[in-house]
Amino acid sequence: MRRHGRKTVGLLLSGVMMLSVLAGCGGNNSTDGESANGGGKSDGETVKLRMVESLTSPKRTELLQKMIDQFETENPTIQVELISPPFDQADNKIRTMLAGKQDLDVMEVRDLNVAEFVNNKYTEPLDAYAAKWSDYATVTATAKSVGTVGENLYFMPSGLYLRQMFYRQDWLKEKGLEVPETWQELVDTAAALTDSSKNRYGFSFRGGPGSNGTTDTMILSYNGDNVNLDDSQFTKDGKTIYSTPEAKQAMELYMKLYKEASPPDSINWGFSEQVQAFTSGVTGILLQDPDVIQSLQQSMDEGTWATAPMPKGPNGKALMAAGASGWGIPSYSKHKEEAWKLIEFMSSPKQNTAFSKDYGLIPVHTAAAEDEFFKTGPYKTLLDMGNQPDVFVSYKPAFQYPGTGQWGQVSAESQQSFLLGKTSLDDLLKKWDEYWANEKTKMQK
Amino acid sequence: MNNRKLFIVLSLVPALLLVLVFTCYPFFKGIVMAFQEYKLFDLNNVPFVGFDNFKAAFDDPKFMHALTNSAYWVFVSLFFQFVIGFALALLLKKPFRGRGIYQGFVFYSWALSGFLIGMIWKWIFNSQMGPVNDILMRLGIIDERIGFLSDPKWAMVSVIVANVWYGIAFFAIMLLAALQSVPGELYEAADMDGAGTVRQLFSVTLPYIMPTVITTTLLRAIWIFNDPTIIYGMTNGGPAGSTHVLSSFMLDKIIYAGDYGAASAVGVIMIGILLLYTIFYLSVTRSEKVGDF
Amino acid sequence: MKRFTLIGLKGIVLALYFIVMAFPLYWITITSLKPQKDIFSVPLQYWPKTLTLDNYVNIFKISKFHVYFANSLIVAITAAVIVMIIAILGAYVMARFTFRGHRQIMLAFFATQMLPGFISLAPLYLMMSDMQLINNRFSLVLMYTVTLIPFSTIMLRGFFQRIPSSLEEAAMIDGCSRFTALLRIIMPVMLPGIASTFIFAFVQNWNELFLAVMFIDSEPLKTLPVAMNSFILKFDVNWGAMSAGTVLSVIPTVLLFAIAQKFIVSGLTQGAEKG
Repeated sequence: MRRHGRKTVGLLLSGVMMLSVLAGCGGNNSTDGESANGGGKSDGETVKLRMVESLTSPKRTELLQKMIDQFETENPTIQVELISPPFDQADNKIRTMLAGKQDLDVMEVRDLNVAEFVNNKYTEPLDAYAAKWSDYATVTATAKSVGTVGENLYFMPSGLYLRQMFYRQDWLKEKGLEVPETWQELVDTAAALTDSSKNRYGFSFRGGPGSNGTTDTMILSYNGDNVNLDDSQFTKDGKTIYSTPEAKQAMELYMKLYKEASPPDSINWGFSEQVQAFTSGVTGILLQDPDVIQSLQQSMDEGTWATAPMPKGPNGKALMAAGASGWGIPSYSKHKEEAWKLIEFMSSPKQNTAFSKDYGLIPVHTAAAEDEFFKTGPYKTLLDMGNQPDVFVSYKPAFQYPGTGQWGQVSAESQQSFLLGKTSLDDLLKKWDEYWANEKTKMQK
Repeated sequence: MNNRKLFIVLSLVPALLLVLVFTCYPFFKGIVMAFQEYKLFDLNNVPFVGFDNFKAAFDDPKFMHALTNSAYWVFVSLFFQFVIGFALALLLKKPFRGRGIYQGFVFYSWALSGFLIGMIWKWIFNSQMGPVNDILMRLGIIDERIGFLSDPKWAMVSVIVANVWYGIAFFAIMLLAALQSVPGELYEAADMDGAGTVRQLFSVTLPYIMPTVITTTLLRAIWIFNDPTIIYGMTNGGPAGSTHVLSSFMLDKIIYAGDYGAASAVGVIMIGILLLYTIFYLSVTRSEKVGDF
Repeated sequence: MKRFTLIGLKGIVLALYFIVMAFPLYWITITSLKPQKDIFSVPLQYWPKTLTLDNYVNIFKISKFHVYFANSLIVAITAAVIVMIIAILGAYVMARFTFRGHRQIMLAFFATQMLPGFISLAPLYLMMSDMQLINNRFSLVLMYTVTLIPFSTIMLRGFFQRIPSSLEEAAMIDGCSRFTALLRIIMPVMLPGIASTFIFAFVQNWNELFLAVMFIDSEPLKTLPVAMNSFILKFDVNWGAMSAGTVLSVIPTVLLFAIAQKFIVSGLTQGAEKG
């Protein structure tokens, strides 16, 4: 069937090509640069790897290319072509490439989509390769855990990110306020900073896509010790985290955070407005990942801002999860050995530490934490949090549920409806509770 | 085969063949998903489920809301785009100094892509960091900032404003080209009959360019109905789903839910609506008289 | 007196329209001339405190802007030209002849405008992959051509219909073949229609993002919309680069329009009956 289709298509295509040649459009067949469909062994022993990144930014691409160049010098028989789709479209493109079995040997996998890739058998388990790798011993447990689904390691994280608090030092000083340590203090401080007549607000709220970054974090921290850390949408007795009285408390405070300390417009803000509001001096407190640091350094004066650990819940705990993206091997890759070689190279303590410093991530090797760079400046907070595991309790996000992908959207939309007063708090939590109870039932089938 | 037939066939074959192979074929492949449980999370398991996806769509209050919104989105945008575009075309018909530059200016909004327009207008309408609120505050027209994109009362208006801004150019340029083709003799005759400017507009100009008017309004209606990019860029359908139209609702199913089955079903429903609308529109405007069908 | 007020009214209307409509263009342009720190500074700057061309320099430094620009030109123009050739022939036949299936073809062309593109994206990718056209500009030329055939045929047919068929019949009596009559006699009269259809076809190609993202992998082949899309980062939109890119990306379209509008307004006013 498919074969037949292919033949017809080919025939039609040759007709079309002839037409376009007649129409003077010859010479458009690209022969530029890297051969398009290469991937096989081209001449002699040289192997050509194709690698695709997802969290593309000009700076990051440059850093990756630098590592690749070095790798190619050390391994003259391996060539690497780096594909850099725009961040906005990258995951969709990678997914399409995998479905179409396009030549690909190394790909960036994210914590958000690793379960999907594994479920569709797109990714190769890396355990056998890692077992032979000498530096694997010093990879941190967190890094290993993020890259693992079930029993197997499916991607090697290229660095970890952890959310922390960014705040306007000068604003707090001006008002004589302390740096908030709990969510309650955060709301009070932010409310005290708010002066809408001056277009100044305490908190960089984000009610659009990604709002569950705040709601879920608050609810988790309010549930505290009661959360099942390995199945974090549920409590230790198997109920959803949204069904507890603590969840209700958290969301009441959340409403206050929006009403009294955030720009009204932010109910529909996404990541860019959230950060822009902070850099432009509209808002005073921002919760974000460390890769935002470079944006802040670029657009804000030194000394106006500083970092602090994430706020804690009423029982003195903050639940947090490290995020990561990293390198995996497509299951159909023809050059898995060489692909692993490249991953191993990029993940070596030396390369990984350099990359993490330049890009603003937490390195994946234990030794790197000893580096002066991470003991000072905006990165210090991250280490501080890491050093108090009983206060900043780490949990495993529920990425293994198929519903995680849609959760961000469901959560954001119902949360907006709650903030607008169209949904009551009880209905909101009931809806969320049902969503996850339902995911659980589907999973157990 | 005689010459006439050969000429007809040869002229039409490239167009038909290309459209058949590269538009219709992949589309029909895509449409099959509407009858499958087709989710990106589990591509090894895509069973046929009959009309389940359609039932799910009609049972979803958000779908019904998006349906009503689509009607507003299309007709309000289209009305203003057409009226303003037509007025511009009339004003630009007679030469004046600087007309060329002015036309270039009219055209530029069309030169931007949907995703850019969404991003630019999202910024312009931002309450805290956008210029519209800032200007209105400075001029003393408002005392409190308006949540153009965050207040459900305003959000739909705001996305429509952006869409009107974008689409005027299409009508202005297409209608201007059509106006240029109205033979001058018709006006001379109308002048002799003593018809005023307004009467000439309705008795000479409009009837003459009617085919263009019908085709362009129909095409634009279809495009506006199908294009999610502006809404997607500006509000993402929010707040609380208040600005979702069918096309953005469908995109939502793809991007967030990874549910191609549901998205495809919504797509099929959208095509059904458009087909009905097209048939209705063409019979109401009696296009067969105009010679289009 | 009446004439005077009419002209005055026209001027006022056009000026008002200009102010309202020009604002987004103005805003993007001044943004592109501001240093990074001032772009989102509050209070807003309606005139840049510091004027700089850094953003323009930057987009050539952080990305191969000139390469993308050239790629977009090649792809958009090639596809638009091929579309015109195919559509002029098709539209002419659809306007001048009636035959079996005539009505169905027109309806089918309208129907293609109704298909939501996102649904066929994945199957299209597989087709391109089967034909070994991934990461090849030809895939874009092909798909842009295909996408625009129905629209262009519908539009051009409308223009053909307004030209009396007595024109080419006269020429054919003089011994021209139908094809030469079309080429020599009808085409000049059709120029406004062709020019306006061409410019719309070009713009659509010039701005197309989703197919270009999917089909093209390597840097030297990327088009402008893809490059602009990559100014959206994980936590940030690089508005400096985005605005500078926007200003530059509009130039070819507006230039092309400036050329095309000569034909658009040159008008059939004299042409139609002279032939």
